[in-house]
Amino acid sequence: MPDNRFHLAWFMNFSSFEWNGPFSGNDGAVWTDGSLHVEMAQALERGGFDYMMLEDSSMVSDAYEGTSRVDLKYGLYAPKHDPFPLIPLMADATRRLGFVATSSTSLVPPYLLARRVSTLDHLTHGRVGWNIVTSSEDRAAQNYGMAKLWEHDHRYERADEYVEVVEGLWGSFRPEAVVRNRDSHTYADARYVTPIDHDGKFFKSRGPLNTLPPLQSKPVLCQAGGSPRGRQFAAQHADTLLASAFGTAKMKAYRDDIRTRMAAAGRDPDSCKVMFIVIPILGETMREAQEKAELASLATDDLAESALGHLSALTENDFSIYNLDEPVPTVTTNGHTSTLADFLSLDEGNTTPLREHAASWTIDSLPLVGTPDHVAGLMQEAMEEVGGDGFLISGKMNRRYIHEIADGLCPALRRRGVIRDHYEHEYLRDNLMAF
Amino acid sequence: MFHMGVFTSFKPPEWAGTWSGDTDVTWSNGYFWVDMVKALERAKFDYVIFEDSSMVSDAYGGTMDNDLKYALYAPKHDPMMLVPLLARHTSSIGLIATGSTTLLPPWHLARTLATLAHISHGRSGWNIVTTSEDRAAQNYGLPKLPEHDDRYTMAEEFVQVVTELLGAWEPDALVMDRETNVYVDHTKVHPINFEGTYHRSRGPLNTLAPPAGRPVYCQAGSSPRGRDFAARYADTILVSAHGLDEMKTYRADLRRRLEEAGRDPDSCKIMFVLAPTLGATGQEAREKKARAHRQVEAALGSLAAITEIDFSVFDLDAPLPPATTNGHAGYLKEFARVGEQHATLREHIQNWSISCLDLVGSPAEVAGQMAEAMDYVGGDGFLLAGIGSRRYLTEITEGLAAELSTGGATRTEYVSTTLRENLMSF
Repeated sequence: MPDNRFHLAWFMNFSSFEWNGPFSGNDGAVWTDGSLHVEMAQALERGGFDYMMLEDSSMVSDAYEGTSRVDLKYGLYAPKHDPFPLIPLMADATRRLGFVATSSTSLVPPYLLARRVSTLDHLTHGRVGWNIVTSSEDRAAQNYGMAKLWEHDHRYERADEYVEVVEGLWGSFRPEAVVRNRDSHTYADARYVTPIDHDGKFFKSRGPLNTLPPLQSKPVLCQAGGSPRGRQFAAQHADTLLASAFGTAKMKAYRDDIRTRMAAAGRDPDSCKVMFIVIPILGETMREAQEKAELASLATDDLAESALGHLSALTENDFSIYNLDEPVPTVTTNGHTSTLADFLSLDEGNTTPLREHAASWTIDSLPLVGTPDHVAGLMQEAMEEVGGDGFLISGKMNRRYIHEIADGLCPALRRRGVIRDHYEHEYLRDNLMAF
Repeated sequence: MFHMGVFTSFKPPEWAGTWSGDTDVTWSNGYFWVDMVKALERAKFDYVIFEDSSMVSDAYGGTMDNDLKYALYAPKHDPMMLVPLLARHTSSIGLIATGSTTLLPPWHLARTLATLAHISHGRSGWNIVTTSEDRAAQNYGLPKLPEHDDRYTMAEEFVQVVTELLGAWEPDALVMDRETNVYVDHTKVHPINFEGTYHRSRGPLNTLAPPAGRPVYCQAGSSPRGRDFAARYADTILVSAHGLDEMKTYRADLRRRLEEAGRDPDSCKIMFVLAPTLGATGQEAREKKARAHRQVEAALGSLAAITEIDFSVFDLDAPLPPATTNGHAGYLKEFARVGEQHATLREHIQNWSISCLDLVGSPAEVAGQMAEAMDYVGGDGFLLAGIGSRRYLTEITEGLAAELSTGGATRTEYVSTTLRENLMSF
């Protein structure tokens, strides 16, 4: 009988949960000690999720209006804390959920990243992954002492070599080296530990890594690249991809393209799970859900400002200079090229006022509004049409929503037999590749 | 009263001993240190500090054989990733981890420090090292380490950048105003625009201001340059100085340097490394000490790793010849100084320990000796090292520490849940 199960993950970061909504609680700062994320991890494990993906960035944006007012007002890019230290906290409270954290190939020394991930692989008992980004903001580069970032495609060229160094380091301390012989008092055998002597175009590292070999055959590699160069990189390296494609036709086209590229690169297409970003809006009745959805995209000035602040940071264009009542302008970027293209393409006819256009901007792959069972049905149909491999939930972070998903949507999906009802394996990689 | 801490590493503890349990396999899951910090918190210790290094050493004999055989410097895992797990299981003890000023990007380190400060509610700290091995530098793409004194010059700039970044968000920047829908007030968040000789960083960090002010800075540098650096920046210093007179002299020298740097000498707590041998009775302890023999190769291998001198070439039955290093300069100097009292290198290394004093006895005996030592030296506390098994841990927490606090030598309660406040409370 064919396995029609698909995967679930959550797209989030180490920053504030929703702090000013009707169900935001009364402590908008408690997130900093990680306790909210720990609770959320437990809920997601209850729901059978594969992993939590912690995106990240390394700057406070002043792209909108030339100040950080909007970025900090809405907490768009800051405050945002280092996601790696969050992982051991969440791992301590769970047994099977995986954790993927973001780190930039343009900013962080490869040895440091390799060691962090290897350390976490052991602390989580094989449940860690690395989301590979090249960074997209000059302000981030300036925090690290550079004037600006390299051009888009060049960043990927560097990233290719970076991944080579990191994988080399993870493989430099072989499992056979770990002897632990009490009689000869030998912990490890140097015959199986080897420098990598990497001296490349962009990176140099002698190695070996000073950590035990990871428990997973290799920590999971995650990536999100919509541009052609990004897709090429993904086809070569990624075990799981985050994707945002509008509608099932585009979702299918994207996935098929990735699978074709993977085959061309000599990889089994099933060995990379493509996860589509969705923001389910759930209600006890269809009407309740629809009203919630309408309210969420109501074109208020704040919502528009917040969306444009976000877009300004992503594309390093100052959207504040445009009139909210006028149609969308033409712009280009060295940053997130596909995001900008998607934003602009939302309004082909170029007549919608910027305010409404911004308020409706979303990275949702398809609208999912309804009761848990209705949404579960939409997800099942979409997966049947697209072919796989799962969904990356991204929504307003508050406890109520998290439980709507974990205790509402997930059981509905489980009753349809389309998500796991138990974890078959101990390690993230194995659970991810199980179907 | 004096302070107590523990000095440890995120690497295999004593893994092949009588009391090792399964730590040879399980050490990398971190729970050995979870048990450790819970016990130390029960005993009201100030902090635990994780040293760190980023290489597999091949200094001894020109191969990695010795280092890996005895698990001296590798495998070793990143202690900054262990701190959160330890924070989850404790509420008052300090957690200090090492970060290199030579290898890391300052913005990256500052962000991790701020993150840990929030996760631990103000109990985390940074042990500042300049790194002492060319092999570590080569892992980060440098041909070799900068010269010893240059490293300190670079470190000063690095610490300045990190400190400014940690202060870039004012403590009250987080406003959470529901009326105006403002989470953070941007007028209280400032780029630092740092342009130095070695580092540039625009800033600010993208993290909220650390909850208890600047995290505690720790340091351990005994060379003259290292001592100056410590006097300028450290809130607590680790010292390996052998013998009471050396300890007293060291502390007096540090306090003088603190004053010269314009600081209150009491604002830096000087902690002397100690590895006592304990037994239910003095006799049991002495017999235990006599049984313990240091594997000569292991001991020399450790020294080789941090000085990058190949100790395997020296004649074990002759005195130690003169040697210098670009690595741990002060440590080597102290090793040589203590070596003068031994006729051969073999004898020297078999007696060598990083412990400042050779204390062997029952908990009551050792506690008494520690209190006397503190009286003589003047302060400020001890950092226990070599806790390689849970059994030894309990000898310390249930025996030695209990004696010390009952006798009024150490605290019976924390005054605060932040490291800085507990450290500075006496």
